[in-house]
Amino acid sequence: MNNGKRRMLTGNKAAAWGARRAGIEYVPAFPITPQTEIVETLAQWFADGSLKGRFTNMDSEHSMFMAAGAAAATGVRVFTASSSQGILYGLESLYTVTGWRVPFVMVNVSRALATPITLEPDHNDVMSTRDCGLVQLHAETCQEVLDFVLMGYKIAEHSQVSLPVLVNMDGFVLSFSREPVLIPDEKEARQFLPSFEPAQPVFNATAPLARASAVFGGGTYMYFRIQQDLAARHAETVFNETAKEFGERFGRFYEPVERFQTDDADLVFVMSNSFATKGKAAVQKLRRQGIKAGLLKISLFRPFPAEAVASALMGREKVAVIDQNLSPGVGGITYPEIVTALYGRPGAPKKILSVIGGLGGKDIRENEFMTVVDKLNDPEEKGPVYLYDEKDWAQFQALAKIARAEKGGP
Amino acid sequence: MLRVRLHGRGGQGIKTASQILGSAAFLAGHQAQDFPLYGAERRGAPIVAFARIDDAPILERGPIAIPDLLLIGDDTLLEDPQVAPACGADEWTTIFINTEQEALKLKDRLSLPGLPVVCSLGPLTRKHLGDPRILSVSLAAAGGRLSGRVSLDHLNEAIDIELGALGLDRQTLKKNQDLAAEVFAALSPAVFEERQEKPLVAGQLKVLEQQEVAQAAPLITATGNMQERKTGNWRVQHPVIDYGECNNCLICYARCPEGVIAADAEGKPVIDYDHCKGCLICAQECPRHAIRTLWERESHEQR
Ligand code: SF4
Ligand code: SF4
Repeated sequence: MNNGKRRMLTGNKAAAWGARRAGIEYVPAFPITPQTEIVETLAQWFADGSLKGRFTNMDSEHSMFMAAGAAAATGVRVFTASSSQGILYGLESLYTVTGWRVPFVMVNVSRALATPITLEPDHNDVMSTRDCGLVQLHAETCQEVLDFVLMGYKIAEHSQVSLPVLVNMDGFVLSFSREPVLIPDEKEARQFLPSFEPAQPVFNATAPLARASAVFGGGTYMYFRIQQDLAARHAETVFNETAKEFGERFGRFYEPVERFQTDDADLVFVMSNSFATKGKAAVQKLRRQGIKAGLLKISLFRPFPAEAVASALMGREKVAVIDQNLSPGVGGITYPEIVTALYGRPGAPKKILSVIGGLGGKDIRENEFMTVVDKLNDPEEKGPVYLYDEKDWAQFQALAKIARAEKGGP
Repeated sequence: MLRVRLHGRGGQGIKTASQILGSAAFLAGHQAQDFPLYGAERRGAPIVAFARIDDAPILERGPIAIPDLLLIGDDTLLEDPQVAPACGADEWTTIFINTEQEALKLKDRLSLPGLPVVCSLGPLTRKHLGDPRILSVSLAAAGGRLSGRVSLDHLNEAIDIELGALGLDRQTLKKNQDLAAEVFAALSPAVFEERQEKPLVAGQLKVLEQQEVAQAAPLITATGNMQERKTGNWRVQHPVIDYGECNNCLICYARCPEGVIAADAEGKPVIDYDHCKGCLICAQECPRHAIRTLWERESHEQR
C-alpha cells in the first residue's frame, strides 16, 4: 500500500497521471485552454511509448466525444478532456453517448462561458452537462483529480452503471496549480482497476450490431430513459463501494459529500470544487471569531446524493449555498437541488440562502464569507446574494471608461 | 366535441384537408384544432391527420383514438394491418370512405361497426382539378358536410386561406371551390350523439427494475430484421416486370435503392412487393422498358 511517488503536479498533470495509471488505450483529443496541458502530456506519453494505444487529434469536441463513445463501444478504455466552449460544442454528442450506455472517463477543466468571453473559471460549463446522464465527480485538490479519474473508471465500467464519468476541476486555480500529489504505484493501480470487461456486446467486425436507432411512440424511448435514470441513481451505491475499496487500498477515503466541521455548526456553506478550500479556511477563522460555521462540499454531483446532503444539513440552523454558476432568471443552479433535498424533512434549516460568487474567475475573498454570515443573520435578506463589491465595481468602471470614452475630434 | 380522424397517403393532401376543415370550423365560430401525424417516411406512406370541433374550449391534444367522424381518403389502406384505419371506430362513429366499393360489402368484409358512407371522390376531383388523387378539398368538403358544423361559405373561405397560402392562383382556387360545392351537394349531414363521459379510473403503473445494461441499452443485435418492417405500403405506384420483354440483364437488381429486387434460380429479377417503396427507379433504368408502372389501386385489383 502506498508505494507510489509524491510529486509536484498541476491539476492537469494529475489528470494525465490518473489516465496513465488507469491504463487508457485510446484518447480522442482536441485542445482548449485551460485543458491543453492534459492532452499535450498524454500525446507525449503515447509518442515516447509510456502509453500503449492510440492518440487521435480530432477536428472538434463534437467528433471527439462521439469518437470517445464509439471507441468505448468497441471495449477499449477511453479517456478524453475538454472545457467551456468545447463542452458546449460537444454537448449533443455527450447526450448521445450517455444514451449508448458506454463507459469512459472525461475531465472537464471548468472555464466560464461566453459572452463576454473569458478564460477564467466558473461552473456554468459543467452545469450545462448536468442533465445529460454523466456521472460527475467534482475535485477540490490535484490529488482528488487523480484519484477521481481512477475511481471514475471503476464506477463507469461497473456493469450496473455503464455510463461515462466526468471529473471536474477548476481551470487555472487547479489546472495550473502545482501541489504535492501521490501517484499510485502502477501495479497497485492495476490491481484496483483491472482491464475493462465490457458488460454488453461490443462492436466487432464479425457480429453486426446497432447501438442506437430511432424509436417512435414514446414507450420504447421512455424505457431506455428510465433505465438510464436507474443506472445513474445506482452509481451512488457504486461510488460508495468504490470509495471504500480505494480507501482501503490507498488510504484516501472519499464520500459523496465531505462534511467539514458541520456536526455542531450553526451555519453551513455549501460549496464544490477548488474554492471549497477557501471555504474551509474561512470556517476555521470564523470559529476562532466565535462563529460556529461549517462547510459541506459536494464531491459527487451526479447522481445527486440527496440523502447525504440532507443528513449533513438537518439540524443546522442556516445554510448558504454558494454557486459559482448562474441560471439567469433563477440564480444559482445547485441551490434548488439542496432545497429539494431538504424539503419536508424534520429539522431542515430555517434559512437556506442562495449566494452567487466567483463567476468568470472572480475571486471569493475571505471577508466575503463574513459578508455571507451577515446576510444569513439578516432576516430581511431573501437572496440571491451576489458576491460583488466596490472593488469589483471599480475594476469594471476602469475598463468601462476606456471602452466608452468619447474620442475628441482631430 | 366532434372528433375527426383522416387517413390517406403522403402527397394526397390529407394534412391540408384537416387544415381546411379546422379553418372552416374556426370561421364558423367554433373552437377548432387540427393536427397531422407523420414520421420520417415520404410521399406515398400512410399518414393520419385530426381535427377537433367544439363550442367549448378544446382541452384535448394529440391523436384521436375514438373518432366521431372517420374520413378514409384512400381505400387501398383499408386492409393494411399497419394502418388499420377503422380502428377505434364504434357504433357512434360516422365512417366515410372514398371508394367505388359498396357500403354493405365493405361493412361485412371489414367488420365495420356500422354502414359506412361511401362516395367516389376521384371522378369529381378529376372533373374539376384534372387529377383524381388530390384529396385536400374533396375530403375536407365531405368532412365539413358530414359534420353539419360548417356551411359551404365557410368552406370556401377556408379553401382561400389554406390553398391561397400554398400559392394557388384565383382560377385554381375557384376550381377547388366548385369541387367543394359538388361534394357538399352530394352528401348530407350525419347525426352525431354526444358520447357518455366515462369517469376517470386510476391504472396500475409498471414499476421498472434496473436491468442489465445489455438489455437496458438501445442495442440491436439481431440481424436481418428489416424484413419485418414492411415498407410496401408507402407506394402509390407499382413496378411490374414484363418477363416477355425482360432479358435478365439485372440492371434493375443493381439499381434498386432498397435492394428489394432479387434474382431467382434462373436469373430472373423478382420484386419483393412487401418492401418495394414504389420509387420506380427500376422502371427508369430498365434498358428494355420491360417494367411497367401501375397505380396502386389498379394493381390491388389485379392481384
Ligand atoms: S432491367 Fe429490365 S431487362 Fe434487365 S433484368 Fe430488370 S426488368 Fe429485366
Ligand atoms: S420501385 Fe423498383 S427500384 Fe423502387 S423500390 Fe420498388 S423495386 Fe426497387
